[in-house]
Amino acid sequence: MNGRKLEGPAIDFAGLSPLLALLGGAVVVLMVGLLRGRAAREHGVPALSFATLAASLGLTIWQLDSSEELVAGALAIDGLGTVLNILFVSAGMATVLLSWRALAPRESAHGEFHALLLTSIAGMVVLAWSTNLVTVFLGLELLSIPLYVLCATEMRRATSLESGLKYLIVGSLGSAVFLYGLALIYGATGSTDFAGIAEANSAVGLSSDPLMLTGIALSVVGLGFKASVAPFHQWTPDVYEGAPTPVTAFMAVATKAAAFGIFLRLFDVALIDSATAWAPALAALATVTIIAGNVGALGQSSLKRMLAYSSVAQAGYMLAGVVVTSGLGVRATVFYLAVYLVMNLAAFAVIIARERETSLGDDLAAVEGIGATRPVLAWPMTIAMLSLAGIPATGGFIGKFFLIDATVDGGYAWLGFVIVIGSMISLAYYLRVIAAIWMRDAPAVAQSTPVPAGPRPALAGGSPEGDAGPGSVALGAESPPAQAGAVVYGGEPGGGKAHWEVALVAVLCAALTVAAGVVPQPLFDLVQRCGDAFTNLV
Amino acid sequence: METTAWLVLAFPLAGAILIGLLAQHVPAKLTGYLGTLAIGGAFVSAVLTFLSLQGREEEARQVVFVGWDYARSVGVDAQISILVDPLSVLMILVVSGVSTLIHLYSVAYMESDQGYARFFAYLNFFVFSMLLLVLAGNFMLLIVGWAFVGAASYLLISFWYRRTTATKAGIKAFVINVVGDVGLVLGTYFIFKHTGTLDFLGTFDSVERDFEGSTGDLTAGCLLLLVGAFAKSAQIPLHTWLPDAMEGPTPVSALIHAATMVTAGVYLIARMHPLFEQAPAAADTGAIIGAVTLLVAGTIAIVVTDLKRVIAYSTMSQIGYMIMGVSAGAYVAGLFHLMTHAFFKALLFMAAGSVIAAMGGRQDLDSMGGFRKAMPYTFACFCIGGLALAAVPPFSGFFSKDEILLDLGAEGGWHWVLYVAGYVGSLLTAVYTFRLIFRAFFNDPVPEAQELMDGHLHHPAEAANPATGETEDTDVGFPGADHHIAEQSPFMRVAMGILALGAIVGGFIQIPKVTHGLESFLDPTFARSEIEVEPSDGLIYFGLVLGAVLGLLGIAIAYRIWVQKPGTSAAIQARLSVLHKLFSNKWYFDELIELVVVRPLSWFGRFGQQTFERIFVNGALVGGTTGLVRAGSAAVRAVQSGYLRSYAALLLGGLAVVGFYFLLQA
Repeated sequence: MNGRKLEGPAIDFAGLSPLLALLGGAVVVLMVGLLRGRAAREHGVPALSFATLAASLGLTIWQLDSSEELVAGALAIDGLGTVLNILFVSAGMATVLLSWRALAPRESAHGEFHALLLTSIAGMVVLAWSTNLVTVFLGLELLSIPLYVLCATEMRRATSLESGLKYLIVGSLGSAVFLYGLALIYGATGSTDFAGIAEANSAVGLSSDPLMLTGIALSVVGLGFKASVAPFHQWTPDVYEGAPTPVTAFMAVATKAAAFGIFLRLFDVALIDSATAWAPALAALATVTIIAGNVGALGQSSLKRMLAYSSVAQAGYMLAGVVVTSGLGVRATVFYLAVYLVMNLAAFAVIIARERETSLGDDLAAVEGIGATRPVLAWPMTIAMLSLAGIPATGGFIGKFFLIDATVDGGYAWLGFVIVIGSMISLAYYLRVIAAIWMRDAPAVAQSTPVPAGPRPALAGGSPEGDAGPGSVALGAESPPAQAGAVVYGGEPGGGKAHWEVALVAVLCAALTVAAGVVPQPLFDLVQRCGDAFTNLV
Repeated sequence: METTAWLVLAFPLAGAILIGLLAQHVPAKLTGYLGTLAIGGAFVSAVLTFLSLQGREEEARQVVFVGWDYARSVGVDAQISILVDPLSVLMILVVSGVSTLIHLYSVAYMESDQGYARFFAYLNFFVFSMLLLVLAGNFMLLIVGWAFVGAASYLLISFWYRRTTATKAGIKAFVINVVGDVGLVLGTYFIFKHTGTLDFLGTFDSVERDFEGSTGDLTAGCLLLLVGAFAKSAQIPLHTWLPDAMEGPTPVSALIHAATMVTAGVYLIARMHPLFEQAPAAADTGAIIGAVTLLVAGTIAIVVTDLKRVIAYSTMSQIGYMIMGVSAGAYVAGLFHLMTHAFFKALLFMAAGSVIAAMGGRQDLDSMGGFRKAMPYTFACFCIGGLALAAVPPFSGFFSKDEILLDLGAEGGWHWVLYVAGYVGSLLTAVYTFRLIFRAFFNDPVPEAQELMDGHLHHPAEAANPATGETEDTDVGFPGADHHIAEQSPFMRVAMGILALGAIVGGFIQIPKVTHGLESFLDPTFARSEIEVEPSDGLIYFGLVLGAVLGLLGIAIAYRIWVQKPGTSAAIQARLSVLHKLFSNKWYFDELIELVVVRPLSWFGRFGQQTFERIFVNGALVGGTTGLVRAGSAAVRAVQSGYLRSYAALLLGGLAVVGFYFLLQA
């Protein structure tokens, strides 16, 4: 092996092209962001960023059927990689649209914002394609570090900065733990290659080797952190709430997809022979996650915080697909990731739209009564909530059905029950949003400032106690309602601007959510491709 | 053909949605035309489908079109697929054809109603559901259509939703229909368990192989399907909702409770005939229930005094014939009767609607009479419908009823009992039909008829519910102020005229020894049926003569009792008071169901509510779980302190636990 390395690896540039497009685009965007013209920065940069993502999507679709090694055992393109790639890039395109006229890129400079976004997506692609512990870690950091920065891009808002800092510190801890785990696995097996690890694992019989097991434990924790699996989820509500909403939307859907992509690869390929050791542990973690996420979401009055807890719960559902170590489980997980992407993007798009139209921020009050006044936003939000709860005729139902089927099929029927119970609890907070939309009148003072800018709490996320009225909203870490004069840009919260691209994302994603529930077959067919990476599964 | 078949479904669905969306923004009148146009479009598409089906080879006349796969994984092949074959084409022709005419009739009949647009949205939705039911290519869509039809029926029966009797009737219909839905779903489960496919043709192809050694399951499945069929088709003991359903507007009675929805059970049995032929016990049950229903309903129809309810019981009785026929293997004959019945029964209801309009909304036969001169057109239509119903040659009902009984007679065996029951029912039919005609149209004109003859339409002083006498206003949710068109609108006349023509000539398509139009058309569907009968010439002629004689005899009896010697009826009532009481109390079926089902269940419900629910469910289960969830929520929030150090601590704590667990494995 050492001899070959000297020759330099053979690189398949065609297969690598979606990644190269992203990185190249990031550089170009950064440069264009330096131009003086305001139009070039404000509209040219997002347009270029969107074009980059579109190009990457096109190249991914071009490579849809390829399944080969790209860079000497470091990266490989296969069904799972391409499908996840489509998800990342689609989420990126939606994020570009959502942040086009948002506050965050203006404050942090457009070039940087979009370059960071594209780099982060490139990191996800690396992660999803990696077949080697080294590239796994590389991808993970490449996706995380730009995100830490992105969270803090609304630089004049303390909560945004705070969320960035929190994410950085806790994230570094998670990365360190993960890296430690990878190192121990390498130590136990003598290989950084997934195939090599699997081979060593089955040949030597490492299933009771303390070194190996400690390594697995550490990587479970590290990945669990990235995927917000309880009890490593605590950064999620604080960071989601504090980050600029377009960034939150991106983190919620794309990071999750990346984390589960590598969950599937690492555990269902490299560590498959230790399944008896890790599967029960992951099942227990999934249970804790489902319960913690769902009960945590109850009584949240900040929509972003509620969705953060909901994303924790959904991570628990998807973890069930990893636990069962079957081809069905892999497909169910990827299917759910796709559905999760569209339904969450629809919800976040509506939140963004209301943040800009009213001064209520992401508080539940912002969507009250929009059934009558803004049906274009009310319907996507309703559909997103129903789908997240798993009501039939939405993608969320089919996705959950698929996951539960996988658990029953894989001998973890009790985990299926946990999913069902979790969904039952989740109705309490999803339906509360729908009730607010349709059954309450719009607050009369929607355009005015609801809370005085009193002394801010020391820490974001401090005691988000229930729905105890506007007082606790002020105490919670919701975004400060447009302190008059503090921000002079056109797209500030409370500016009363209805932006068509945000509504477009909401409507489009809601339509896709329904489509996935009514005509799920195309998505099934797409997901079917993910199986080829898992030859060792039933 | 594929396009036209899908269009049959698309038109009514688009109509329903469009009317629903536009109702607030366009003049109400337009929605009526829009609804009629949509159903007309469906009818045209149905005709085109029929033509292109006839253009195919006989072997290729059963086609499945798959719109898309709903879910083809985890062992379920749920597809959005329709089955186009002679049976479904016959059904869509009848359903969309009759529906078009009834929409036309409604345009005039419902004109003054405040819920005009809502009515047409519902009606279009119903037609869509019914067409979906008959076109469904698999069990899943069948169940969807089946349930939609029940829901549409509920909406339309309770259309005057502020009228208590109407909402109660709607609820009753819905509950009984849901019983049927459950039967259908469970039956599907029993069948699916063995065949592993939801597709109709796939199921039928392998029915013998799949159920080898487990005919018990097949019989159970078929019996459960019958429960579904009985509930939809108002067969004993699930029939009590149909007479109450007459609370709906008359066009609804004509469309749903005469021509289309109630025949769904007949369609279901015909569609499932490969299954029923393998499960003779279930088929026999269907035939016997059909025979009992036709007799019981016939006897009730003789004594009921509500105009629409008489027709409703007659519907039950005629569907009894069809169920008896298709269950006993007389598929073509049963469907033939279904078709002719759709014509003449819709016609009778339309004519009845005209009479009720002239009476200012009242339906009581006792206060009617002498409308012959006041409404000649209605009278003519009523007579044509009545003659067809009473099976007098050469009207359509004569040939179709004769065909059913002929097949039963030719099959021999114990089916002779059904044969005799059918002819007894035939006599009853003629008597109650002409009792209706003689009482409403003959004798001295009542004041309302007199008023109409003077060129003026009767209006009651104040609107009231004819059933209870409660006063009503004419706002939305009640019948409109001017609900009284009484045959004067050209739309109503056209609709009635076309149906009258159908009631006259509809039977000529299939005359013993002369024409075999329907039989040869339906042949591809029933080609593999194992039941083959060849009636002898003697039986054919005997049946034709007996049918005609019984029909005329019934009319003569009715004439004698209600025209020649008024008062005979009271004398008979006095002499046979026990029977009269039994019949006019509808054989005490409502009371029986009340005693056997409702009371024990409500006792059980009360027990559950007062004891079980309050103490166990509310106290322990709900209180306990919500408390638990609340506590969990509080705990999660308490841990979420906002302090980084505590997050890091929990992360490390979690890591310690996970690590410890893994090391235990070593």
